[in-house]
Amino acid sequence: MDPNQPVGENYANPRTCFFHVLFKAAALAFYILSALFIDNFVIIFVVTVLLAALDFWVVKNVSGRILVGLRWWNEINDLGESVWKFECLDHESLARMNKKDSWLFWWTLYLTAILWIVLAIFSLIRLQADYLLVVGVCLTLSIANIVGFTKCKKDAKKQIQQFASQTIASRFSSTLQSAFSVV
Amino acid sequence: MSHSDTIPLHPSSQSDIDEIENLINASVHQSVPSARPPSPPRASIPVSVSVSTAPSPFISSNLPPPPPLPKSSVSAVTPSPPPPRPGIATSGFGPAPNTLTEPVWDTVKRDLSRIVSNLKLVVFPNPYREDPGKALRDWDLWGPFFFIVFLGLTLSWSASVKKSEVFAVAFALLAAGAVILTLNVLLLGGHIIFFQSLSLLGYCLFPLDVGALICMLKDNVIVKVVVVCVTLAWSSWAAYPFMSSAVSPRRKALALYPVFLMYVSVGFLIIAID
Repeated sequence: MDPNQPVGENYANPRTCFFHVLFKAAALAFYILSALFIDNFVIIFVVTVLLAALDFWVVKNVSGRILVGLRWWNEINDLGESVWKFECLDHESLARMNKKDSWLFWWTLYLTAILWIVLAIFSLIRLQADYLLVVGVCLTLSIANIVGFTKCKKDAKKQIQQFASQTIASRFSSTLQSAFSVV
Repeated sequence: MSHSDTIPLHPSSQSDIDEIENLINASVHQSVPSARPPSPPRASIPVSVSVSTAPSPFISSNLPPPPPLPKSSVSAVTPSPPPPRPGIATSGFGPAPNTLTEPVWDTVKRDLSRIVSNLKLVVFPNPYREDPGKALRDWDLWGPFFFIVFLGLTLSWSASVKKSEVFAVAFALLAAGAVILTLNVLLLGGHIIFFQSLSLLGYCLFPLDVGALICMLKDNVIVKVVVVCVTLAWSSWAAYPFMSSAVSPRRKALALYPVFLMYVSVGFLIIAID
């Protein structure tokens, strides 16, 4: 039993989890450490924002759909209107998603935003407007991903409910038909 | 005789109307089997796509007849339409059912091709100049981000002192400027999409980026002025059709003046920093 327990529940996609965390950690670490050691604002800005942008792209396009089966993007239709689109796997595939992957995904998403908020407060306290610019950009990207995936998750739940209601309706009609046939 | 002659015309016209209706029904029936073949792969791949606006599929079904005509006319006019066509086609149909299960490399390639096609719209003569709403329909913020950072880096390298402040001012000016310009158009009652506008203004910085790079290499003031004027005119010319069509003709000047003002201020930054 002891050797089975840790083997049973493990990360289904360790490499994706690694990259999901890598860019977040790299951006935060570089910003904090460079603020202590490097005095060149331009380098700090470019590297940190670039890492944050890479993290945004990886989460939105890769780790989101692999770890939790969700994807979101924005399109402009022929009428010139902005349309939000959400994609999710069907019910069975969502049920087969690894709980640990999902846990890591959501917690790192929220934790990163919280850390950037804390760093923003520090920049405000020190009255450093330029560093606030860096944190502002990174925070915007992080919150955009949280909002996108939250909406995507709600939409997925709505689809599952619709599917369930359709199933119940079809079963009810079939039961009714069988009752009439018996009579 | 005249009455007898007119009477058979009505049934012939009615038969023509019936034939037209049959053709419409046949096209509808043909559309149904075209929808059926993709259903098996969808069944094999458990992917469901949802759209937040329900009426959009009906509108998209109504629209197919008009698009082929402007496409053919555009193709007759210029050879540049081929690049946007596959982009639109793939974004419209190809990736939609497969984006959840596609390999990572396909995602990267799609995003890169989108950036390239958006850049072409600004650098080369705009094929959608008569219908600017179609420009940058597949908006992205990678191009604007790269161009703003590149311009900031170029200016900060040119500056002899206060490099950090120069970079921060350039970035803040461009980022805030783009946001303010978009809000300006919205407040003027124009129909514009926030991120599409940001994307367009960012891509239109490309000529100014080239100008800034040239000015960094050359120290002659006269050369700088000439280069900045040329690139400034180019950026304004690229941004003009989109911004002008977003608002009513009476308020066109109010929408265009701030855009020109932002580009002029960037031009002054390029010339002044030494």
